[in-house]
Amino acid sequence: MHSRQQILSLYKSLMKESNKFSSYNYRNYALRRIRDAFRENMNLTDNNQITKIVKDGYRNLEIIKRQVLIGDLYKSDKLVIENVKLLA
Amino acid sequence: MASLTRNLRSIVHRTLRVRNFSIQPAIVGVQKLPILNQKSSNFDVIPHQRLSLPLKRSYSAKPPLTLDFISDRTMLVLRLYDKIDACKLTLDSHFINDLGLDSLDHVEVIMAIEDEFGFEIPDMDAEKLHRPKDIVRYVADREDVYE
Repeated sequence: MHSRQQILSLYKSLMKESNKFSSYNYRNYALRRIRDAFRENMNLTDNNQITKIVKDGYRNLEIIKRQVLIGDLYKSDKLVIENVKLLA
Repeated sequence: MASLTRNLRSIVHRTLRVRNFSIQPAIVGVQKLPILNQKSSNFDVIPHQRLSLPLKRSYSAKPPLTLDFISDRTMLVLRLYDKIDACKLTLDSHFINDLGLDSLDHVEVIMAIEDEFGFEIPDMDAEKLHRPKDIVRYVADREDVYE
């Protein structure tokens, strides 16, 4: 059984870890996917199912951590849309 | 003795030249940058400050915070969050009851505040921050700002 606090903290660590993706596409996909997945399962009441899904979340957190590392090894230039306009 | 002086002079001369060479491009580089236009309306202050940072090195401490400055920055962050209706937002509005956010949105708001002020807010404290004024208070306490 997972408490509400634990799940919110899983959400936070997933979001934080995903923010570290250096690639724009991976980063935004991960953030969107996490938001959608948590919203989608917001109203679950079955404890077994919740445990299963939260476990899946933790597994995905590990995957994200690894992929962020690998993404850092093979960086590419930032996309045009990412370029911050320094000078108005 | 004379040769020693000559040697010394040539070394000084050389180092000076080297310094000249190494400094010049840097100066040219800085001069080439167009100067940021100095608008000073209320909302421009913060992004403007942040964007101008990479152009120079600051070795001093960050600008002193005041309660007004903290609340301006907090409100700016909150206004920019897409799920908050900027018209309804005041210092006293409750995130969940008044602004219609859920707990997941609340986590994201707290993350945005963490990014803005550059420190982590533990989950225990985060769940007590229900209103913008609680956040201002928390940041002020943490940064030792009392007026």
